[in-house]
Formats: sequence, structure tokens, C-alpha cells
Amino acid sequence: MQSHDPARRRFRRAFFFLALTLVCGTTSAQTRGDPARGAQKAAACVACHGPEGRAPLPGMPALAGQQREFLETQLVLLREGLRNVPGMEGMLRGFNDRDLIDIAAYYSAARPYTESGTRDAQKHAAGAAQSRARACGSCHLSDYSGQRGTPRISNQREDYLVLTLKAYRDDKRTGSDTNMNGLMYGVSDAEIEAIAHYLAHQ
Amino acid sequence: MSTALWSRVVAGVVTPAVVSGFFAAAALTSMSAAVAQSAPAAKPDPRVLMGGFHPERMDSQGLTPHATRATVTPPEDIPLNRLQVPPGFKIELWAHGNPGARMMARGDQGTVFQGSRAIGRVYAISDKDGKRTSKVIAEKLVQPNGVLFHKGSLYVVAINKVLRYDNIEANLDNIPAPVDLTDAFKLPPEVHHNWKFLAMGPDGKIYMQVGAPCNVCEINPGVHGQIRRYNLDGSGMEIVARGVRNTVGFDFHPKTGELWFTDNGRDWGGENGFEEELNRLPKDMIGAHFGFPYCHGNGQPDPDIRVPNPCANVVLPVITLGPHSAALGMRFYTGKMFPPEFNDAAIVARRGSWNRTVKIGYDVLRINATPDGKNPRITPFVTGFLDTAKNEFWGRPVDVMQLPDGSMLVADEQNGAIYRVSYSK
Repeated sequence: MQSHDPARRRFRRAFFFLALTLVCGTTSAQTRGDPARGAQKAAACVACHGPEGRAPLPGMPALAGQQREFLETQLVLLREGLRNVPGMEGMLRGFNDRDLIDIAAYYSAARPYTESGTRDAQKHAAGAAQSRARACGSCHLSDYSGQRGTPRISNQREDYLVLTLKAYRDDKRTGSDTNMNGLMYGVSDAEIEAIAHYLAHQ
Repeated sequence: MSTALWSRVVAGVVTPAVVSGFFAAAALTSMSAAVAQSAPAAKPDPRVLMGGFHPERMDSQGLTPHATRATVTPPEDIPLNRLQVPPGFKIELWAHGNPGARMMARGDQGTVFQGSRAIGRVYAISDKDGKRTSKVIAEKLVQPNGVLFHKGSLYVVAINKVLRYDNIEANLDNIPAPVDLTDAFKLPPEVHHNWKFLAMGPDGKIYMQVGAPCNVCEINPGVHGQIRRYNLDGSGMEIVARGVRNTVGFDFHPKTGELWFTDNGRDWGGENGFEEELNRLPKDMIGAHFGFPYCHGNGQPDPDIRVPNPCANVVLPVITLGPHSAALGMRFYTGKMFPPEFNDAAIVARRGSWNRTVKIGYDVLRINATPDGKNPRITPFVTGFLDTAKNEFWGRPVDVMQLPDGSMLVADEQNGAIYRVSYSK
């Protein structure tokens, strides 16, 4: 039924156009950072984010397949204590910019993580409607895989998505800009939980 | 909001005052609803409008804001030779290695201070033993974009934080604890569009803006969408301009002392919708309204927030500066070095678009006009940050500042660099 939805068709067309652009534009992306060196530097990350960033502990984000530019920015913000996550500032102390660029290259090259867990059909549908109504796919793309500085949110851990969306709403964190704070203004807990459930089960 | 009232707003029969009052109430309702975790509200949802969501306008080509690079860009990665300036001008790399560095202020002894946004730092760039060095003098602030130097003190304004560093240039090696003036300034806590630009007025007051906390929404006009002035200690706040969505650049005209300012138009208005503006606040119109959220650009009504006669009593811009082009830092040229056509010209840094498939901006413009804002003309000044053939950018100019010798600094946020533009016959 969804395939007859013109909005969805437009999203899909837009996505193909973008995928093409991305494929054509990957050369410069691939030359930035050394994934092998990044893997060595990321040895300590395994404890919470799992091997290759694929098995995060509760409340932690999966990093596998995350957007490289997004990871770079977040690693700097965490190192500097600008994004206040207990433990992360200490973990990254002493890492220079090159280390962070390499770690970002490593995780972004990994096969994307897939959340497993029980899918609630009703909550999923509510989340799908919310995500469409809020046009999440406009920046994160229609498959929510993200692009450049905009993160992959498809199949991320559900609990982590809930925490993050609430933090944006409550001005507890910003990204590289404050668009998410503006966008989440006034969104209810129930709406956030539905969106997170939907995104976690793509 | 009831469906009935909603239709009346859309039909344009409810006055702005009624709508404002209603939305203030709606905001409170939505906050308590969020706390109570109520079921999703029936459509239409006032929170949608409060947040500036217009998904029907966002079914787009994957447009997303460009994240500023947070890591150091080495000088060899800055393609200076791509930059173009008019004949007789020269552009050189003046400072580098300061990720995210944005608005500039200059101390009496020549230190250039720079604020930033996401990276939370304030930088100080100075010449020491014949070498240009930079250091972080404040960090972990939330979007400390506003910097101002006055009588030996550096003022730094972040989100809901105002700090004054006294006698700063004598203490660059050992930064003293700042005087915290936050309580006196009473700034709102919202982060979005609330990073500051600061200027010292000819009246000896500090001017700063408070933007709209959204893309487009009804705002409380007593708090948001305005330019204010304060006494140096934070007392005597006055709103000098209203209906200003998000200005990040202003200066006072060298001949008239009147406030001129850039303003960013709304997003998601289409490829060519709702241009950025260069505005002038006439001396006898303190407190005048510049249109947001009802009237944009050169008099275009907002398609989402509709009121009768949206542009009535709105001060229209001196000139518009292109849709989505992000016209930010702006200062008048008063130096002796540049050719006569630069005298009293507004120099504007355009950070460049994200909400447009064909990128525009990414340059510095010269705008000539009469002191009363008539006969405006735009001439490109510094270009080459954008490769129009590839639709790709490598740098983002965000501020301009004149040096005592009449040369001009241009801050590039993307590369954490400052360029110096000079001229000789």
C-alpha cells in the first residue's frame, strides 16, 4: 500500500538521486582517515560499544556504519567535554585530532549494526507516522542511513534513541548545530518513544 | 488548538496579538502534556507550528546542514590559490588551526579574539616574539559566538551566559577568572538561533540579538526575534528592533550612526524563497518591526503563519542577499587602504547555503548604498570558496573585521582560519 503513496515515491526518487551523488563523491571521503590505525586506537571502545561498534551495552550507541563526518564531530565534542557523557571525556583524553579522524574512518567503514528485539506493530506504525510527519528523512534520508554530518539513525539501539531525542528536546545537548533542538521542541515522551521504536526496527 | 481556531489562523482572520497570546498558552499546554506523557495530540498539532515543522515543504532532495569541521585544518590543506579578489587586492593566510572559530573582536594591543559555536571555545590570536600564535582562553561554553572588546575588557556572550574578562591583553598567559554578568543580562535559555553577535553602539551601549528559537514559528515578541541594547553592566535593556529572525552581523553607519544588520530568512521555503536581508534601522524608528514571522525578504508573506496584511508597518530591507545564502558578519569599511568605492560600504560575509540544492553564498560581498539606504548595489569582494561547477564548497566566511592599517580580516569557520585582504596600487 505504501508503494502507491506519492510522498514515499518522491522520497525514494530523492534517495536514488542522492545515492548517485554520494557514489560519485566518495573519492575524497575515502582518502580521509586510516581505518586500520583507527581500529588500534579504538581498542578500548569495545568494552561499551562492542567489537566493531556492533554490540553496544544498554543505553550506548552502536557505532558500526555510522557517518564518518558525524563521528569526527562527536568524538571532538566528547573529548572536549562539550558533549557531557560520563566516562567519554576521560577515555578520549590524550587522543589528538588524527586519532579521532582515524577512529571515525574505522567505525564508518564497518557494516552497519542491526538492532534486534521485539517489534510492536502498533508502536512501530505510530513511530512511522511521526517520523513522516516530522520529515526525519529529509536530512537523515528516507532509509534513515544519514549523510555526512547527519547521523545514521536506522536500527540504532532503541533506548539510546530515546535518550538522545529527549536530550535534544530538553536542550541537554546539541549537535554540530542546533537544528535538532529546534525540531524536537515540544515533542512528547510518548511521541519520542514511538519514533525511537520505529527507527530501531527498520 | 481547536480545529476551529486553527482554520481561522490559516484563513488569516486572527490578529497577530491573538495568535501570540494563544501560542504562549499552547506552548505551556504542550509542555505539561509532554510531562504527563499524554497520547499524541489530535491534528493539527500546535506543537508542530511552534517547532517550525512543515514536512510538506521538507520532502526534499536530502538537504541537511553542513557540519562545521571540528578538527584542526593544517595550512597545506587550505587551497588559498582558489580565492579571488579584485585587481590590486591580495589575500593571504593570517591565522589557522582554530577549529570552528567565528566572530572576531580586536583588542587595543592587537589581539584578535574569536568566538565559536559547537566547539565551545574562545580563541585569542596574538603576535609573540615575531610569531603569530593562538590559544584557547575559554572553553566548554555553550555556543560562545559573541565577542566584544571595550576599554581593556573582553566580553564573551554564550547561551544565557555573559562573561567579562578585564585587562585581558595583559593576562593572556594567565587568563583571570571572568566577571559573571549573566544574571544582569537575563537572556533566554533556548539554544537555537540564540548564539550572539555583539557590537558597541555609538551610544556606548552593548548591542546583541536574540533570535527566533525555531525555523519559523510564533514567538514571544518580548523575548525572541529582536535586537537589544544594554548598559555595560547589563542594566537598562531596550528592544531596538523586532521581527528579526536571526541576525549574526551588525554595525553602525559611519555617517549616520544608524544600526544596519543582516538577517537570515527562513528555511524550507523553496530553492528561491525568502532571501536573507541587509536592513537599516532608521534613527527615529527604535523598536521598529522587520517582519518575522509574518513577512519575509522584500515583502513576501509567510505561507505557514498567516495574518492579514503581514507586511504592514514592516521595515523592508535595504537589499536582499540571496535565498539561504546565510549572510552573517557585516561591518562598514572606514579605512584608508582600499579604493574609494569601499568608503562606507557594508562588507558582508556569506557563510553559504545548506537548504538549497544549488549552493550559493560562500563569499564576501561589498554593498554600496546611500546613508539612508537608497540605491543599493552588490559587488563580489572575495570569492572562490565555492566551486559552482561541482556545487561543492571548501570554506565558509562568517565574519569580517577591519584592521587599523585599513586591511580586512575574513574568518573562515570551516577551516578555522583567518585571511587578510590588503590593497596596493
